[in-house]
Amino acid sequence: MNHSLRHSNLKSRVASVLLVVGKKYRTLFGVAMASTVAAGCAQNAPQDTWQPKGPNAKIIDDLQQPVFAVAGIIGLIVAVAIIYVIFKYKDRGQPIPEQTHGKPALEITLTIIPALILAVVAVFTFGAIFKLAKTDDTEMIINVTGQQWWWEYDYPVQNEFGINQPIISSGQLVMPVGTKVLLRETSRDVIHSYWIPALNGKRDAVPGRVQTLRLEADKPGLFAGQCTEFCGLSHANMRMEAIALSKADFAKWVANQQAAYVAPEKDSLAQQGEAVFLNQCVRCHQVNGLLRADGTPAIAAPDENVWSGAAPNLTHLMSRNTFAGATFDLLSKQCRDEVWNAPSSEIGEKYLAGVSENCLNQKDLRGWLRNAPAMKPMYANPTQLVATGGKYRGMPYLALSEDDISKLVAYLLTLK
Amino acid sequence: MAIIERETEVVVPVTVTPTSTYGVLKRPVSATGWRAWVFTVDHKKLGLMYGATAMFFFIVGGVEALLIRLQLAAPNGKVLNADLYNQMFTMHATTMVFLFVMPMAAGLANYFIPLQIGARDVAFPRINALGFWLLLFAGIFINLSWFLGGAADGGWFMYAPNSGPVFSPTNGIDFWAFGLQIAGIASLTGAINLIVTVLNMRAPGMTLMKMPIFTWMMTVVQFLLLFAVPVITVALFLLSFQRNFGARFFDVAAGADPLLWQHLFWIFGHPEVYILVLPAFGIVSEVLPVFSRKPLFGYPFVVFSGAAIGFVGWGVWAHHMFASGLGPVSVAVFSLTTMAIAVPTGVKIINWTLTMWGGKLYFSTAMKFSIGLIVLFTVGGLSGVTHSVAPSDTQQTDTYYIVAHFHYVLFGGAVLGFFSGFYYWWPKMFGKMLNERLGGWNFWLMVIGMNMTFGPMHILGLQGQPRRMYQWTEARAGEGFFNLAFWNMIASIGSFVLAVGILLFLINVVITARNPTRAPLDPWNSRSLEWLTSNPPKEHNFDVIPTVHHLDEFFHRKYEEDPESHTMRQIATAEEIMAEQERNADKHIHMPSPSYWPIVVAFSVLVITFGMIFSYLIAAIGGVTLLFASFGWALEPSTAPESDFESNSSTPGTALDSVGNS
Repeated sequence: MNHSLRHSNLKSRVASVLLVVGKKYRTLFGVAMASTVAAGCAQNAPQDTWQPKGPNAKIIDDLQQPVFAVAGIIGLIVAVAIIYVIFKYKDRGQPIPEQTHGKPALEITLTIIPALILAVVAVFTFGAIFKLAKTDDTEMIINVTGQQWWWEYDYPVQNEFGINQPIISSGQLVMPVGTKVLLRETSRDVIHSYWIPALNGKRDAVPGRVQTLRLEADKPGLFAGQCTEFCGLSHANMRMEAIALSKADFAKWVANQQAAYVAPEKDSLAQQGEAVFLNQCVRCHQVNGLLRADGTPAIAAPDENVWSGAAPNLTHLMSRNTFAGATFDLLSKQCRDEVWNAPSSEIGEKYLAGVSENCLNQKDLRGWLRNAPAMKPMYANPTQLVATGGKYRGMPYLALSEDDISKLVAYLLTLK
Repeated sequence: MAIIERETEVVVPVTVTPTSTYGVLKRPVSATGWRAWVFTVDHKKLGLMYGATAMFFFIVGGVEALLIRLQLAAPNGKVLNADLYNQMFTMHATTMVFLFVMPMAAGLANYFIPLQIGARDVAFPRINALGFWLLLFAGIFINLSWFLGGAADGGWFMYAPNSGPVFSPTNGIDFWAFGLQIAGIASLTGAINLIVTVLNMRAPGMTLMKMPIFTWMMTVVQFLLLFAVPVITVALFLLSFQRNFGARFFDVAAGADPLLWQHLFWIFGHPEVYILVLPAFGIVSEVLPVFSRKPLFGYPFVVFSGAAIGFVGWGVWAHHMFASGLGPVSVAVFSLTTMAIAVPTGVKIINWTLTMWGGKLYFSTAMKFSIGLIVLFTVGGLSGVTHSVAPSDTQQTDTYYIVAHFHYVLFGGAVLGFFSGFYYWWPKMFGKMLNERLGGWNFWLMVIGMNMTFGPMHILGLQGQPRRMYQWTEARAGEGFFNLAFWNMIASIGSFVLAVGILLFLINVVITARNPTRAPLDPWNSRSLEWLTSNPPKEHNFDVIPTVHHLDEFFHRKYEEDPESHTMRQIATAEEIMAEQERNADKHIHMPSPSYWPIVVAFSVLVITFGMIFSYLIAAIGGVTLLFASFGWALEPSTAPESDFESNSSTPGTALDSVGNS
């Protein structure tokens, strides 16, 4: 708490400097003063760039705070100089002054001073750039792939973390605390940008390239992020959440992700839902271990239907808290807040509880199954698909009956 | 050489009208009414038309901005849908950059460069007219897309591959790319024209280091345009070929690297930033000395720092790409160059402040806008320095912090500079003074509105609100003083305060137009040559081409230094100097004739681009028209036979003799 307070104070100080510089007159000084007083802190600001929660973001923050302060001071000096000149040299009937054309010595001095300040800043900047680019002490790798408008997380086999078969997830990046995680980013369609402000700056996911970004969290917690490279229609609805779990909790998560498929109970609503899923959803969405009625594995073929060639893998869907590019919560408001507001020590337990029937956000999930493009703008109208040769960008309207929707929801709830 | 002679107002030497013209079509010999504007090649009329066009698009871009702020005032905005919002911010930026700031600068340059260097027109008057018509048609063309299936929706820097036909299937980006291509031709022709004008047509005695600072800054801008526009031209051709002819320059599946587009765009795009802001620097550097009654402090420093920006501006483009994965070495290099360019920019701030230091300050509206620019541009400059710290930039880029930064630079810089220029030069252009009292309101509402709108965006960005999102959500808004909801609302309210400020300017224009009071000859006690003529200037600008002895020539014709006190004492009034000019007026003044062809050529280019989108038949018709018009242009008589004129051999050698016919 102290930690965040310190930053908030700094922030309010610089903010007041900005206001003073910007508005420069006394009445507006008041606003700046008020902001200093009123600014207790930026609470629950999930994407605040001034509250680092890991060493990479900390490197950036340590570098930027003095730069902001120096910039604020220089701005203040300019503002004060201008105000002084305005009052001092106002036309009070003095004679037209001597037509002096400048003082080279003064000007050279005033050129060298900012150049020196910037030279000092440059030295520290260089240090930070190379520190942040360091990858050779990486402890864990997660492949991150962007596509319109969601992120896929792919954990390659890493036995030291108990990952002995690849895990494919989406919506939430789950990682162990105190571990140097290297994201290997790419994209399947346009350029996206991966950004969890509390953990690091952003890195673009560029199709055809694999680029790296290091994340590390100090303590267990939930960290929000947002795609920050404009990526088309639903750019605003391409969010991310990163969850840092204690190493023990992370091991539990890994074990659950690798758990075998459990078919729904016979003659249950969920079993009927599985049939609907096999009939409709499996064309794009993979659920590992799901079998068709004839006993063959149901393999999704999103590349035949979706331009990017991918749709979220829904195995263990209910272990995640969000869906549709982290735009909607799988948890109801109350249950979601319980997880988000949990103290760091309890967050792992709450998160690993997953989504129970009581906590399910029925409204959004049912709405999504009813008519996904109505909830999130996508290119899913058959008349818009000329340019893509009939492939969707996003999830289409499926004309499911309310009955089928209920069955599907019951089925999805079994994907713990 | 020129075709027609026109009479001067006071001295009427000989009125000569050619009795015949030659060429494919007759050349218009004199014109009144709408023809006087449509076929004109006069740099002042073209300057005004550039200005009016730019002002129109300023309003269009402003309305787009208001719609954006309405949408974002509250969470989950419903004013615009996602598709329309994406078009709106793309077109807001495109309109403001290419159809407002650039044409406004071109208009002021057109109007004032010949006046400031003591010339009677630009070097290539017909090409000048062509440039204007191309720009106007480009603006109309790009905006037609609103009504023909949707405007461009890829953001103004139109990153590949999101700009490809798969991801943006409407014609919007085609309109955008072809339209900017036309605007690019306009910029290139204008750049070459003004460079030649400045280098060849300065009045006798005006060395480069005695040239008014506005002309200097505009000259730097023209060189930037000359080298930057070809880069975007290439990029736009690649894009158009990809979209229309199946080329695969940015297609990853075909082995392309989409970062190619980013490099091309920003190699144009960063010099473009200086193209946008240096004109305002020039205006402020004219206005501050006038109202401080002191020369520009360190004129050579301002000139050379402007030129330095013009050079270093080419080496900083990749600072727009710090998050795109350039690798640490490139990032470090561009970080350093970006810090380096802050130095010459800072020099200007220091020089402006020291220009006022020790002066005799008169706070006209023009002066207020100039002082406002110093302060607000400094804010934008300082936030720019925080971006040069690359690791810090990876947190800030593509958030509202960057939106705040470039609006402080472009609104606090370019726009306030223009408004300073409007108030300062209005009597020169229209012979009437804008109302100063209304001007004060105009200034304060704009400054308060702009700080309310863009100031909070610093906070929004640092709180992690990305740009280009059609909605923001309460779930990510946070609580407490820095919550997104409060500051988004403030920004939206501010945008309307700003709009009222600008509306006051438009009202001021109307009031001034209706006010019969004429402006005095030298209302501001000005310093440079454009004031050595009537308000508005005569068609031929100067009765006598002045011989220049000083930087601030006009001031030194009015004042001389008291050898003891070193203060200045008046030796002549502007009226006396003007009367002297008129007594000695040149007897024969040849001005270029109007021409039909610039607008015809420009229109045929428009038809071609329209055809590229809708039907190659239309394009072919445009091509034939262009060919015909080019012949018409080439064969248009540039010199009427000697018999049509009085002998002009007695005319003293003037810059006018070199007014060509392009």
